[in-house]
Amino acid sequence: MRPTDKPKTEIPAALRSQDSAFLEKNTRRRKQLSRWFYVVCIMVALISVAILALLIASIVYQGQSRLSTDLLTRSHSELDIERSGMLPSILGSLAVCMVCAAAALPLGIGTAVFLEEFQPTSRFLRWWHGFIQINISNLAGVPSIVYGLLGLTVFVYMFNVFGKITVNEYSGWELMGATHSYQVLTLDPKIAVKIPTDSADVQRIRMTGPGYVLGPNNEWMQIEIWDPKSGDPRPRDPSKRRRTVKLGQAGSLQTEKAWYYFRLPFDKSFLAAGLTLALVILPIIIIASQEALRAVSPSLREASLGLGATRWQTVKNICLPAAIPGIMTGAILAMGRAIGEAAPILVVLGSLVAKSTGPKHLMDNAVTMPVLIYEWAGRPEPEFQELAAAAIIVLLVILLAFNSIAIYLRHRVQSDSNV
Amino acid sequence: MHEVMNHTGWLAIVKRYSLTATLVGAAMMPLLGCKGGESDSPDKGGETTTGPEGETEVSNITGSIKINGSSTVLPISNAMKEEFAKEYPGVEISVSGDGTGTGFKEFYAKSTDISDASRPIKAGELEKCTEAGVEFIELPVAYDGLTVVIHPENDWATELTVDHLKKIFVNAEDKPTKWSDVDPSWPAEDIGLYAPGTGSGTYDYFKEVVIGKSEAEMRDDMSLNEDDNQLVKGVAGSKFAIGFFGVAYYEENKDKLTAVKVVNPADSVAYEPSSDNIASGKYAPFSRPLFIYVSTASLPRAEVAAFVQFYLDNAQEVSEAVAYVRLPDSIMERAQSHLDSELSGTHYVDADGNSRHGAVEDIYVKENL
Repeated sequence: MRPTDKPKTEIPAALRSQDSAFLEKNTRRRKQLSRWFYVVCIMVALISVAILALLIASIVYQGQSRLSTDLLTRSHSELDIERSGMLPSILGSLAVCMVCAAAALPLGIGTAVFLEEFQPTSRFLRWWHGFIQINISNLAGVPSIVYGLLGLTVFVYMFNVFGKITVNEYSGWELMGATHSYQVLTLDPKIAVKIPTDSADVQRIRMTGPGYVLGPNNEWMQIEIWDPKSGDPRPRDPSKRRRTVKLGQAGSLQTEKAWYYFRLPFDKSFLAAGLTLALVILPIIIIASQEALRAVSPSLREASLGLGATRWQTVKNICLPAAIPGIMTGAILAMGRAIGEAAPILVVLGSLVAKSTGPKHLMDNAVTMPVLIYEWAGRPEPEFQELAAAAIIVLLVILLAFNSIAIYLRHRVQSDSNV
Repeated sequence: MHEVMNHTGWLAIVKRYSLTATLVGAAMMPLLGCKGGESDSPDKGGETTTGPEGETEVSNITGSIKINGSSTVLPISNAMKEEFAKEYPGVEISVSGDGTGTGFKEFYAKSTDISDASRPIKAGELEKCTEAGVEFIELPVAYDGLTVVIHPENDWATELTVDHLKKIFVNAEDKPTKWSDVDPSWPAEDIGLYAPGTGSGTYDYFKEVVIGKSEAEMRDDMSLNEDDNQLVKGVAGSKFAIGFFGVAYYEENKDKLTAVKVVNPADSVAYEPSSDNIASGKYAPFSRPLFIYVSTASLPRAEVAAFVQFYLDNAQEVSEAVAYVRLPDSIMERAQSHLDSELSGTHYVDADGNSRHGAVEDIYVKENL
């Protein structure tokens, strides 16, 4: 300290003048400010809740008249709008979200474990590690429609590596669950017979002679040929007409699809939609899981390693069990987003609403709840707009139900691990 | 159960795309015979065919049909699918409404069997179809009256000519910003313009009517929206707004909007877009036919043939049920004969690649194919 710098011994003004009136006023002012801040905080919190409540109230007001069993048990109807329902979309959303969870959870948690627990030491791998980390943070901010376009190329068309699926010509690499046959119409325009085949190479045959075929009740029967040019009269007896085929009648390839029907490329299927959604929520799951793993106390990890456990044993027995509640929170949030996404599904599956069932096989397309709501809300009939509001209520209820189950599970895991 | 049996009386001519090959059936397909008298347990209820021959009989035809295209035609196709499923429960039909343009794109990429369209195919799309080897049958299924709407308090523009609309909606050096720019006796207030998105057939159809063959473009300062309900809200919310969309949206919002009576260039009388005026062709030039385009490659498939026939049989009733206007019997008969004789190609593009314009009665004739 230089001699010119006098030590500051001066007492601040507030302390110097022991003015009790001033002190009291000052304290009151500060306390008042604090109270005001408290009120502002409550107001801000209330505003967001109030907006949500208003939104829900208006939707309930619009949609309550359409909340009926029809809504839950029937499908979209154009001619009987009053009785339209959303069952196919509920099943579709569940199927899509199951695929999404099955793909995104293992991948996301695995990536988080790699990024947090297996931090590499070599220079190149460390660069690689950082590169992945940065990209995942970036991906979390990418709009979901971009993922939709990505899903269209990667899952729907698969870069056309397996060829492009076209009607009447090519049905992709059918790996499982396909039974082929040729469907031939009999003289009864509503009854067709089938000729099973092993090969799907030939799309169309023509009938030139009598033979054995699979009949309407899946029984083998002999079929006759009627040649219009021969001058024979067209058979009139209904049972005979069902056993007779016109000469030259076309038979076209039919694929009967078992539930496990699997084909490449996926085309517009709920599998492709689920995988696309998995891409959307992957960054969210990774980041949440990373946070959860990072929150595990290093002393636990070090103790485990110190006792001679390998890194894998440490991850499996110490880190993951401790991080599970946090990981599950991330997963719940991510699945909540997945079930509500419309944009990527619209890109991948198109604007399909009138499907009358849930997906029947792995390659079947599907309607999902957000897409149905979007389509209904855009229709001119006021009934459909009310139905859209009712569907939103159902979507919210389903979402809440799922979240509750997940929170309950997390609670149980948490209390188990504490014991 | 079934024993393999060699059956030599079996012959099948196999047709693959355009290639025709004759193969001896016995060599190519595993032929299975069935011990006589053995009856398999009947199939699931819906697929048995025990009913008497008639309208209500349920068919055992299976298969899948893919449809995409105009969102205007979507309600008709959805309704058809719904009704068809009652008689043909084994047929899976997927109907998407991604827009007429997108529909044709998928159609010539051979991804769909049927393309819904709220305007006739364009020369460029026809070319793409020809390149890809996609042939189609053009079938009109209903009328839609493209409706120009204004606010109910608007009392000056209740009757408009096509020239007025051209002036209002077409891009030009002196495009009007105020109503008084169109007609000096109208108020000097800014015009609010509302139109469907550029991907929709409705936009294309309007553009074609007001612009025709000239190089002009539609104005770029309109409020475009794919969601027609937003257009309804836009026009209903402003006294000085004008917009256009399909008649179905007007029918549902009659209390909020007024439909402009459009002067028919043929007799210079203004007609409102009522069902009668649309069906009789008096509401010209904005009554437009809606089409389905059926790939001839798909037509030999029993399920497609049955569905298309069902579509034509029920087009008049169903289109009315979903708020469109039925086509006259004469046109439906022509469509039926086109289908029966598999006359492929469009009526709306001539040999030189130019579009034909006019009423469907005049254009939808065999000679124009």
